[in-house]
Amino acid sequence: MINTLKDIWMVLSIEVRRVFSDRMVLLIFFLAPLLYPLIFCFIYHNENVENMSVAIVDESPSEDSRRFIYKLNSTPELSVDFRCNTLDEAKRLMRDHKARAIFYFPKDYSSKLASLQTARIVVFSDMSSFYFYKAALTGGNSVLIDEMHTIELQRYEQAGLSPTEASIQMQPVIFENVTSFNPSGGYGSFFLPVLLILVIHQTLFLGICILCGDANENRHAMILIPPHLRTKSVHRVIFGRSLCYLIIYTPLCILDLWFIPRWFGLPQLGNLYTILGFLLPFILAVIFFGMTIGNLMVRQKITPMLCFVFFSVVLFFLTGMVWPQSSMPRFWLFFSYLFPSTPGVQGFVKIASMGGNLEIVRHEYMTLWFQAATYFVTACVVTYWKNNKRHRRSQQIHRQHQRITAMTNR
Amino acid sequence: MGIRRVLQRELRRIVHEPRYLVILTAGIVFTFVFFASMTKEGQPKRLPVAVVDMDGSYLSRRICHELDATPGVHVSAVYNNHTEARKAMQRGEIFAFYEIPSGTYNTLLQFRAPHFVLYVNSAYMLAGTLSYKQLATMGMLAGAAVQREVYRKKGYTEEQIMGLIQPVEYDTRTIGNPWINYGNYLMTTLIPAVIAFIAVMHTAYIIARERQKKTLRSWLRKAGGNVLKALIGKLLPYTCWYILLCLTANLIMFGFMGFPMEGSWMLMTVNTILLIVASQCVGAFIACCIPDPPLTMGISAIYSAMSFSLSGFSFPVESMPTFFTSFSWLYPIRHYFLNYSDIAIFGNGFLHCWPRFCALLAFGILPIAGSMMLAWQMRQQQADSTDSTQQRRPQAL
Repeated sequence: MINTLKDIWMVLSIEVRRVFSDRMVLLIFFLAPLLYPLIFCFIYHNENVENMSVAIVDESPSEDSRRFIYKLNSTPELSVDFRCNTLDEAKRLMRDHKARAIFYFPKDYSSKLASLQTARIVVFSDMSSFYFYKAALTGGNSVLIDEMHTIELQRYEQAGLSPTEASIQMQPVIFENVTSFNPSGGYGSFFLPVLLILVIHQTLFLGICILCGDANENRHAMILIPPHLRTKSVHRVIFGRSLCYLIIYTPLCILDLWFIPRWFGLPQLGNLYTILGFLLPFILAVIFFGMTIGNLMVRQKITPMLCFVFFSVVLFFLTGMVWPQSSMPRFWLFFSYLFPSTPGVQGFVKIASMGGNLEIVRHEYMTLWFQAATYFVTACVVTYWKNNKRHRRSQQIHRQHQRITAMTNR
Repeated sequence: MGIRRVLQRELRRIVHEPRYLVILTAGIVFTFVFFASMTKEGQPKRLPVAVVDMDGSYLSRRICHELDATPGVHVSAVYNNHTEARKAMQRGEIFAFYEIPSGTYNTLLQFRAPHFVLYVNSAYMLAGTLSYKQLATMGMLAGAAVQREVYRKKGYTEEQIMGLIQPVEYDTRTIGNPWINYGNYLMTTLIPAVIAFIAVMHTAYIIARERQKKTLRSWLRKAGGNVLKALIGKLLPYTCWYILLCLTANLIMFGFMGFPMEGSWMLMTVNTILLIVASQCVGAFIACCIPDPPLTMGISAIYSAMSFSLSGFSFPVESMPTFFTSFSWLYPIRHYFLNYSDIAIFGNGFLHCWPRFCALLAFGILPIAGSMMLAWQMRQQQADSTDSTQQRRPQAL
């Protein structure tokens, strides 16, 4: 037992020295988790598209259309910047990216309203970003509902209904909407919690892969590990190293996942102990996952940067925060569970944004422990196999060398 | 000519060690297949929603059935109380639920308006918005159905009824994506962005590798000491390869997958070529300026990682803080995206795109600056080494 602890302590101190003597790893372990959350929090500080410029084409100028336009202008999402005489003029503005949406009132708008028919407004929306469409839709719909009530009330009065009768007729069923967990529907509140976990996942994973590549390139990194640990008690090496990464990442996690969301006003319903309790298996799973992949695939120090960074986009979509897991093709759903980021993001969002506790995220929590255990075993096996291979090769070289010296001596 | 000799050298290298080119190409193909198969349906279908039925009446059961029949959602559970439903929502099992309070049917029979509450989980952006849209529409239709029954009994005509129920309606035309297909919106920018990302990283890598293997001098000697020629010769095979990949991707997306393409194919091709070349220019600049290979990779990764956000296809750049609006001009993909929206969505011609083409061409200054930087570094190194040999000589003597 004492021996085990001693070994772990030795590996830990060697690993700390390795981390702090490598500029690239330092950049990834310390600069990236500090820089990215801050930059992205600033980028998405304005959560929604506000005062998007809209062009109006009013071919039936009347009190009704003027009231509608006035209401459109007073929504937070839209701002009526252009009033055009023809649709072509408005379309030209849209083509020049000056107007992002067009509200077109056809000639028969007011006459249809006057004859108690359904009047139609044509909305053209720029689809280069979904957020333009969303802003046009949200702003436009709130005005539409309001305007419908006003007109309906007028019509019922014309039809000779009393105001109470009219209000029942107008709303036979009252619907109330409650938007939970991200009431403003902001992009930042949705995207940033996901990003924070992904940053932790990717930096830790990359850092470990780079260290593996480094050990592969430089023989001396291997020599640092005492011979009796190289093949037989390889789990002590894995434990010692992961302890080093765990110690480095605990404060970073608290900063990134507890303080930064607070500073930038992101949804924060979870409590610190729940978050930390949840992150423990997450970090362990990422570490062992990194060690498995790193030892298995990475031969050079700069390969991971080249091959894995772009993968973040795929990981982001695999988490199921954008394309929901229930609609994901079965294959990709299983594939997504290879990565600790999937249960990590799902669980963290459920805790931080939706106020869940460990019982709510039981599925994710158990998945992470399962991943951590599995990847621990694979990391041990891969490291053992690799060290063994290297050991045999060095013995071979040694024997050849002996043979050559013997021959030359003869 | 210098360029040809460098080109030959690089081609020989690729043939001898094609590993990274193969891996990265496989990565691009994987990403393409991934997004194409993920967003195959256009929009997420069959989103799980629930009903909290505290009424247990004929009416509430009918609402359940109607919800289930609404396209895009399906009722995955019916709960008895609010807490259960909230927990299911927190667990991510459902994205929205209707709460039907007890006594709803009675209220309706008494000619009073019953009160329904729709809870939506908007922490899931797309799923929350879509399920809200479907459920809110269904709610409005349910209300309208009740109204219509009343008016029919009163003897109004259908047209009058529609006029009373819905006096104003929208006719929405989504330009550039008529089916509101998420794959169309996502892939048209994301795939070129991934290719551009890889082009930056790969360019930085192959130059950093020359430094790492200490073959910088022999590489430059092949080009007769002209750094710019050496760069062009070295990067040309990759340029061609990535342009080919990106054009193929565009051909598949706008051709076979049927994403709308209003403008001219030629402009789009020029746009694609310029995107790849500009990305390589950025990669070459970073690699030429930073003498430390690992640091080169780190910096180019940090630079590239923001390209997806700053291209502005997800969240509009115009709505970001002003600093980032200007900062986004440093990303070729931003110009590509603006050109794409001009060409493919609005069918605009060269007159609209030329400023961005110029901007993409302006990235060409970067490798010139970078090559000057590299030449200066080499001279410095030479001076240092001659210095040290001169210093060592007296000692040797």
